[in-house]
Amino acid sequence: MDKVFLLATNGLIWGLIIALIALGLAVIFGLLDIINLAHGDFFMVGTVLAWATMQTTGSFWLAFIVAPLIGFLLGALIQRVIIQPIHNVAALSIVATFGLSLILQESVRITYGPTPGRILAPISGTIHMFGVDYEIYRLFAAAVAILALGGFFVFLNHTKLGTWMRAVRHDRDTAIAMGIPAGRIYVLTFGIGFALAALGGVVAAPITTVDFRGGVDILPFCFMAVIIGGLGNLPGTAAAAVLLAFLEGIIQSVADPTVARIASLLLMSAVLLLRPQGLFQGLTR
Amino acid sequence: MSPASIRLILWVLVTAFMLAVPWLVPALLNAFWVSVIAEILIWSLFAASVNLLYGYTGLLSFGQALYFGFGMYGVAIGIQDLHLSFWPALGLGIVAAMAMALVTGILAVRLTWHYFAIITVVFSLIFYFLALSNKWLTGGDDGINFSLPPTFRIGGFTRSLTDATFQYEFILATVALCFWLMWRLIESPLGKALVAIRDNDVRASLIGLNVYLLRLIAFVLAGFLAGVSGALFAFFGRYASASYMFYHVSGEAVVWTIVGGAGTLLGPVVGTTLFIIVRELVSTHWEHHSLIVGAVAIVVVIFAPKGVVGLWNDWMAPSAAGLGRPAGAAALRTEP
Repeated sequence: MDKVFLLATNGLIWGLIIALIALGLAVIFGLLDIINLAHGDFFMVGTVLAWATMQTTGSFWLAFIVAPLIGFLLGALIQRVIIQPIHNVAALSIVATFGLSLILQESVRITYGPTPGRILAPISGTIHMFGVDYEIYRLFAAAVAILALGGFFVFLNHTKLGTWMRAVRHDRDTAIAMGIPAGRIYVLTFGIGFALAALGGVVAAPITTVDFRGGVDILPFCFMAVIIGGLGNLPGTAAAAVLLAFLEGIIQSVADPTVARIASLLLMSAVLLLRPQGLFQGLTR
Repeated sequence: MSPASIRLILWVLVTAFMLAVPWLVPALLNAFWVSVIAEILIWSLFAASVNLLYGYTGLLSFGQALYFGFGMYGVAIGIQDLHLSFWPALGLGIVAAMAMALVTGILAVRLTWHYFAIITVVFSLIFYFLALSNKWLTGGDDGINFSLPPTFRIGGFTRSLTDATFQYEFILATVALCFWLMWRLIESPLGKALVAIRDNDVRASLIGLNVYLLRLIAFVLAGFLAGVSGALFAFFGRYASASYMFYHVSGEAVVWTIVGGAGTLLGPVVGTTLFIIVRELVSTHWEHHSLIVGAVAIVVVIFAPKGVVGLWNDWMAPSAAGLGRPAGAAALRTEP
């Protein structure tokens, strides 16, 4: 029972972090129609930025500000230089972001090095709850993820820029006719997508490893969350990420991780075939 | 010179070169490049399976590595566990890949566009993880090594792929045969029906085409191409491994196809050649060759969205839209 609790809680917290990253993917996908194969690497860049911040300033906490900020700027730059010239053609975006993924991974391999490293959690120690000693940092990570998720939805629904983003996604031409600078909204959106993934990277860095291939496993998981949540359904994406990771955590307590991964892939096939509009469509109206 | 004669001269030169490779290349460079060219041929065939689905049918598959893997494992398991000889093992690989394509295709082609791309990658990931965990059958990440049975044994006359020249000739002949079959397919009424579905599936169904069945046929035929390439690769490396079923392998084929020119017969060959030659040339001198591969992919889609062959076709026939195949697959189906 302790093991079930531990793995389920780990899954839940990991799911909240994944939700952040998947939300970044969903925002880019929903607004720009870009299938972003580099999104896992955006997360990986976040973990490396956390490491770099610690190396240069000695403080892990600064990374919570520095990494999303650099991520945002990088995202904006990438949108301008690479994504904008291909005019949001999904097939070309696959090739372009695949190339981007290679470049990001290789750049990290050159600068950070090829061997995976670990970051010590800034909060050490454990807390005794429900019969197990649980790492405090993980609870902190969950709190950060929940705050960031909440903050993002407040931004999307209650600010002018957020409203513009939703307007451009809903109907680009009308939005432009109403005077919304769609081009700049695209840059903003891509920047926010990168920033969310980078923030997820910082939060996850002490839990996972810092590795130039760290994004490769994250990417399919994020896509699963986006699809199961329903394309364009942002709260659904976040919910699906938490649900998936939680389920995988529970299955891992009785079987090995590969079985858990296969189970969530099967779940995803079922959702795709039976409810391609996503699991939560109709519930969020 | 007219475009037609330029094409003819190019065809003759390329054909002559490909036939002369086993003698010419060791003389000019070294024997290593013969196997690089053989590898390019195999991966070109794999990219062609993506092209048949995406370039000609409008379905972007991100899971062709699954059928490549089945072709590969069909051969390896056939030889190592079932003790089959050469041709039955090759047949087993191809049949396994096509059967798998049929089973998954029945479900997958119900979906289109983004959903199709995702479900194909999901199916391939499921079997990737299954192959990883069932080490008794697949060897997992380490894979299966096997020793080659002879290809022909007629009386005292034996030929086997251990002979480098024969191996190259066998791969060239098989790949050329498959491309010839694909060309025949594209020119046939079936191929025209697939292109009609690519261009507008609603219109295609209104003129009486069975869109679901045709897509399924295309999917199984693409499984055939991927299966043959996987089987060839197993013979080429005397090896099969689960790592070739990962989504990165499928993704590379998509990139090669689109960079070379989706919806053109030879686009995948050009794309594959470009990337593998860049990789081989640079990787010996510079460890970080991925940077160049990534940059090439980005530069090509920005400046030649129809791919290298699409660009070439536009140069050759700037005014006549009827000449050359419309390579507009890249600009196609921008909405679900």
